[in-house]
Amino acid sequence: MDALELNSVCKTFGQVRAVDNLTAKIPAGSIYGFLGPNGAGKTTTLRMIMNIIRPDAGNISVFGNNLTEQAKSHIGYMPEERGLYRKMTVRGILAFFGALKGLTSSELSRVVPSWLKRIELSDRANKKVEDLSRGMHQKLQFAATIINEPDLLILDEPFSGLDPLNLDLIKGIILDMRDKGKTVIFSTHDMHGAETLCDYILLINKGKIILDGKLGDIRSQKASNAVIVEVEGETGFIKTLPIVTNVVQQKDTLEITLGKGTDPQDLLKAIVGKVRVRKFEVKRPSLHEIFVTLVGASNAENY
Amino acid sequence: MRKIIEIARREYIDTVKTKTFLISLLFTPILIVGIGFFTSRISQVEGGRPPVRVAVTDLTTQLASQIEAAMGKHNQSNPKRQIIFESLPARDDTNAVEEQGRKQLRSGKADAYIVIDQNIIDGAGRTHVYTYKSKPTMLDATWAVEEFIRNAVVAQRCKVQNVSQKLLDDIRNVSIERVEIGETGNEQHVQSRGQTTVKMMVPFFFMFMIYMGILGIGQQMLSSVIEEKNSRIIEMLLSAVSPFELMAGKILGLGAIGLTIIGLWTAVSYGPILWQGISVDITGKLLFCFVVYYILGFLFFSALLAAIGSVCNTLKETQEFMRPVVLILIFPMIAWFKLVQSPDGVFARVLSLVPPISPLVMPLRISAGSNVSNFEILASIVLLVMAIFLMMWLAGKIFRTGILMYGKRPSLREIYRWLRAS
Repeated sequence: MDALELNSVCKTFGQVRAVDNLTAKIPAGSIYGFLGPNGAGKTTTLRMIMNIIRPDAGNISVFGNNLTEQAKSHIGYMPEERGLYRKMTVRGILAFFGALKGLTSSELSRVVPSWLKRIELSDRANKKVEDLSRGMHQKLQFAATIINEPDLLILDEPFSGLDPLNLDLIKGIILDMRDKGKTVIFSTHDMHGAETLCDYILLINKGKIILDGKLGDIRSQKASNAVIVEVEGETGFIKTLPIVTNVVQQKDTLEITLGKGTDPQDLLKAIVGKVRVRKFEVKRPSLHEIFVTLVGASNAENY
Repeated sequence: MRKIIEIARREYIDTVKTKTFLISLLFTPILIVGIGFFTSRISQVEGGRPPVRVAVTDLTTQLASQIEAAMGKHNQSNPKRQIIFESLPARDDTNAVEEQGRKQLRSGKADAYIVIDQNIIDGAGRTHVYTYKSKPTMLDATWAVEEFIRNAVVAQRCKVQNVSQKLLDDIRNVSIERVEIGETGNEQHVQSRGQTTVKMMVPFFFMFMIYMGILGIGQQMLSSVIEEKNSRIIEMLLSAVSPFELMAGKILGLGAIGLTIIGLWTAVSYGPILWQGISVDITGKLLFCFVVYYILGFLFFSALLAAIGSVCNTLKETQEFMRPVVLILIFPMIAWFKLVQSPDGVFARVLSLVPPISPLVMPLRISAGSNVSNFEILASIVLLVMAIFLMMWLAGKIFRTGILMYGKRPSLREIYRWLRAS
């Protein structure tokens, strides 16, 4: 069963179509990234999944059903705005949200300390929320969302503003959850982060889907048959090679575009011996590039 | 259910820790203790005022010196509240001197101008006290001077009629003492003026506590809802509980706070009242009604306030909605004296049945000594409960939609549409 199914979901705010006929299926046990520029409709979509906003048209089903109050204990939602009770302690917040999610007090006495340790806030357990730094605040909110290890995690921009250490921490926990069979949906416009984490991606722009599918498939589809090399020596001859259609050089790094159907290995054979090869990389387009290309194109379309 | 309790618990604990709670908790008991303590001493409060100048035209020519002497004595024992005597004798022309008197009033040279008719000793004439733009601070002086004139006239009349002033005084002296008896045998407490006043205030006190309990905690409801909206913690809450559970939890938590505060206040004020020897008739019926009506009244208004808070983004925006609410609550407060005077009158009986106001009026009626029939109380409670259900339903609908709306405050028409949808 799919963890989440969106069917022709629409939402309009005044004149603006925030979400336009969105259809997608999120398989259980996957990490699904909602990518898109600011204002694309990611947060609106996530809010509609949580029934915080009601769609104007279409329907959304979570684990095969409409979202019910009981289902809420199987879902963890981390909103885009980082709101918590300012005067509560770190431990208090975890205990409070844990109780709201249905954990018993004996479960809480076990789970709260373990999560404190996991997000590295054990030594600040009695600090008030208002005294936390941004990163700590975000980690706390994340932990409060996930404290009962729900089957479906919906995270709105969970990585924004985190330093590299905390970033890795959160990513590690997300991967952990996926390995335990949970489904994780998160929105972001950090492409590098998404690349390392997502199984599937959904690229939205202006409320419409412009890309949806397995990350691996998408990347190989968009392969542009380019090679990046870093060499020492005389490189002028490279652009004269018959298999080479274009060369862009920046100092010692060359981006060589090959003709259609050419095996990159042929290029390697052609240059070895003539130059010293320090780096040879068959280029797969990064998510960043895919994003820029597609979003740019769709923006151009709409004008 | 557990979720509601969890939310209520958080609301209670977090509110109790705030400074505003502690201040409001302590303020009223201190006030009550203060009043109880100073009741017997209020008359001794020494406040000063500038000397009051009184010009007197004594057409009898026999009283002026007596009045002046009386004023002198007054000034000796009241150095901070003096009365200054000035004589304006009429020589030939009464009209001229009265004109002069009035001129002195208008120019501010005198605060009061008194003309004593010539034939006042016979009983035919009178004393005229003229003032111009009189101020309230002068009141004690005016009363004092009237007393002096009265004494002087009476003394003179006694002389003329050949009646001994002392005899007259003895005849007129009737001493009355008010005594509240205690529970046993000869236990009793003599009541002073101040104590009877406090006793009269008791019904007002009950009404006031319900009023404070509802509005004071109501403010907390408003600010709590708005803060949760603004910090967006509402989205996290709603991912775990339903809007109704959230509203119910807040009402429960804040209701508990209200009960805590009122319980404390009542306990604190019971002490001083007993100590002063004022026995107040607190029957079980009164206590029961007080608690029940407070709870019901609170339920009604806190639901309303939750709804109001949910559609506003700042406390300032709530003011517009709060105006009619406060008016409803203040209305019985303003009419309290009338209600206490005739607690079984039509006015009081009707008001004690009308839902939003009944929680304030019924306890007032009962504590004012009215023997309200249990049937009437039951009817009033039933109406109130019906109103509460209606309000909870309305508030629930508004709350559910309102808490997730940001930006411009929705108009009343829009809110009406929410009620009609679903």
